[in-house]
Amino acid sequence: MKDNVIEINNLNLWYGEKQALTDVSFPIRKNKISALIGPSGCGKSTLLRSINRMNDLIAKCKIEGQIMYHEQNIYDPNVDVNSLRKKIGMIFQKPNPFPMSIRDNITYGPKIHGITDEKELEKIVERSLVQAALWDEVGDRLNQSALALSGGQQQRLCIARALSVSPEIILMDEPTSALDPLATSKIEDLACELEKEYTVVIVTHNMQQASRISDYTGFMYIGKMIEFGDTESIFNRPTENLTERYITGRFG
Amino acid sequence: MSSDQNGFIKRSKKIDKDSIMRFVLMGIASVTVLIIIFIILFVFGNSIGAIKDIGIVEFLTGNTWKPSSDEYGALPLITGTVLVTAGAILFALPIGLASAIFISEVAPEKARNILKPISEVFAGIPSVVYGFFGLIVLVPFLRELFPDQLLYGSSWLAGSILLGIMALPTIISVSEDALRSVPSSFREASVAMGATNWETTRKIVVPAAISGISAAAILGVGRAIGETMAVMMVTGNSPLIPEPLWNIFDMVRTITATLALEIPEVVTGSTHYSALFLLALILMIMVLIINYFAKIIVKRTKRKFGESVSSSDSFISKHISTKRISSMERSAGLTLIFVLSMMIISLFTNLILSTVISVILIVFVLIINRLSKKIRSVDKQKIAHTTLFIVMTFVCVILFIIIGDIVIKGLPALSFDFITGYPSNEGRSGGIYPAIVGTVKLIIGTLIIALPLGITSGVYLSEYAGNTRLTKIIRSAIDTLNGTPSVVFGLFGMAALVIFLGLGHSLIAGCVTLAVMVLPVITRTTEEAISAVPKDLREASLAMGASKWETTTKIVIPAAFSGILTGIILSLGRAAGETAPIMFTATVVFQSSIPSSIFDPVMALPYHLYYLAAEVPGSTTNQYGTALVLLIIVLSMFMLASIIRYHSNKNIKW
Repeated sequence: MKDNVIEINNLNLWYGEKQALTDVSFPIRKNKISALIGPSGCGKSTLLRSINRMNDLIAKCKIEGQIMYHEQNIYDPNVDVNSLRKKIGMIFQKPNPFPMSIRDNITYGPKIHGITDEKELEKIVERSLVQAALWDEVGDRLNQSALALSGGQQQRLCIARALSVSPEIILMDEPTSALDPLATSKIEDLACELEKEYTVVIVTHNMQQASRISDYTGFMYIGKMIEFGDTESIFNRPTENLTERYITGRFG
Repeated sequence: MSSDQNGFIKRSKKIDKDSIMRFVLMGIASVTVLIIIFIILFVFGNSIGAIKDIGIVEFLTGNTWKPSSDEYGALPLITGTVLVTAGAILFALPIGLASAIFISEVAPEKARNILKPISEVFAGIPSVVYGFFGLIVLVPFLRELFPDQLLYGSSWLAGSILLGIMALPTIISVSEDALRSVPSSFREASVAMGATNWETTRKIVVPAAISGISAAAILGVGRAIGETMAVMMVTGNSPLIPEPLWNIFDMVRTITATLALEIPEVVTGSTHYSALFLLALILMIMVLIINYFAKIIVKRTKRKFGESVSSSDSFISKHISTKRISSMERSAGLTLIFVLSMMIISLFTNLILSTVISVILIVFVLIINRLSKKIRSVDKQKIAHTTLFIVMTFVCVILFIIIGDIVIKGLPALSFDFITGYPSNEGRSGGIYPAIVGTVKLIIGTLIIALPLGITSGVYLSEYAGNTRLTKIIRSAIDTLNGTPSVVFGLFGMAALVIFLGLGHSLIAGCVTLAVMVLPVITRTTEEAISAVPKDLREASLAMGASKWETTTKIVIPAAFSGILTGIILSLGRAAGETAPIMFTATVVFQSSIPSSIFDPVMALPYHLYYLAAEVPGSTTNQYGTALVLLIIVLSMFMLASIIRYHSNKNIKW
């Protein structure tokens, strides 16, 4: 299919002896939000981290199978992992701004990738913060420490930071799990807004969140992708018994 | 039966015992405190005479140190100390930091588990062995390297290199800790944006750990500034300010070396005597200031990455440099390179030529800097990691050279006769039996005196003393003594024990001196090991009706036992290798029989090695043999400690 930006085929992953992912296959559609749900320890975060090869940082992690991105297997030895991560950004569970000013947080990525022109950097800062719906709140104090922001603002800053290098895909690993309900709804609105320009994959333990914001949902259980489809049918007419039991809250 | 029902909440004998024990502990702990206060006052009191006779300003600014004609200007000695220490840090900081980065950020897990203990072995080698190595390997090597500049080889340069090597383990382990304590979420965030590992290390991890790294540098200075034996053996000890001031090939004399050289010949109560105490006081104050700064920085670092990184602590952001600062740093760095290279090159040639060479050097640096922007970041990472790897290898090679040289040349000297025989021909032949026995006796005597005092004081401080202002003062008094250079203890032992108490040069005076030296270490490690026992364990015991004393002896101390034991073994290992504290209090050069009384002097391995290396030409074989035996004794104690620590870490988890 043409509008699949990523296709995952028969992905298997081991941490040492323990198999964490078994034969996972599913597509990620362009300019849509895909959600991954499932009980804790089911491998959804592991799967997400495979998509931009963050699992490379873990020793003893072994991967088989394919993740096709623009007709290229990202686990091919020729792939430059740093360029890959530039195109596939990531937002983490806990907001993790660098201990620098707001501006420096956002210019960090562009500078790494070779942009030195001050004017261009300024533009990137403004554009990223506007896209992350943070400009109105911090636009006048860019030199302040990022750590002085509230938790929700910090997470939006992290999103702005990810946007600064113009990625194609943004992976979100339970981005609201450390936030209060108000901050959570802002992030959710933001995710829906980002959908227009970016492809978003979000891992969440919050089923309401998945049903509220995603276009597609995958349900995972013990390292397997039990069911993947559009969100509406997963939540209303699941084909698998396991999915239905999870959705209706009978376990997990 | 009825008495049980009515009396069950009455005071029992158990609680009485509790308060008795409390008093006993307090009594013993206060002995420790009194000893510490006595030493500080003793050094201070004895230096008053010099302040009166010479005047503090004249003492600090005087240019001539010549006790034979009653001239006491300490400036050359203070300068010598500062220069040698500064050189040592200039040598050790880049190497140590690169090794720490390699261990923490680059090396795979397996390599890390080998490299960390290797860098710790450096810390276990006794000062006199370093000095011996410096004298017999480093100094001749430097003399061959710079035949025109170095007449003898003994020099500021040799002292700085040797001290730098000795400061390496401190710098490596403290900066490695600092790098490790940078939250991995920073690394993940950076890598997730496509930064290479090296970019992440350079732009995020190192800047975030910068205060811990500066603490490492300061602690390294503290380690280097108090060194006596090693420095004394390689710097030439001429009490003159180098000419010109940056002439690293000149001979210098440090405060510590002055103490060690002049204590044996000083007349009690003279101005000279008092002047030495004033030198010791100045040294103590220098170390105190250094350790104070290190402590503040370490504390700040801990707070910084304490629990939540997302706290509103705006302190951290200042420490990751923005572009403006880095360009300022760049020009400052360039100026520094220029000035330093000009100074160094001017030692070899005239001033005009050296300026030209320096300018060329700077241009070269700038060109490289410019070119480096064109290199792909992946290749930069390769270059950086390779460089780090080379530095790490260099560090390991230094260690292997030191140990290897001593083992290879020492093994042939080892024989049954060497271990069990008495020295003959001034130590050129014969054995070292009395020195081995003397060292063992010193260790045992130190243990007997320091152990009960130290452990009791540690228990009292952590379990009973509370956190009042008084205990804070006690703690800082202990810490002061903890960082005091060992030669100061030697001075104290000689003046207070050998002469004032009339113990003479004797085993007992040596043991007491060493015990006083290790007392603060034992007290503090005991206290720390005990504080590390979780509160839950105490509460569980108290909740079952055990008294505080029972809880302490049956639950807390056993739980902290391996920590306490490790601390004791480490401090005894240090005591076994020390020379400066015993050379004025306990040791003699030769003995032809084993003395029976504790009031007789003894021979000891470290002093024997020093004496052979410094005073007896032609005794090379026996020097190596003695160095090897000393190394084996001290390193096996360190090994024992790390085995205990390893096993306890495996068994206990909290």
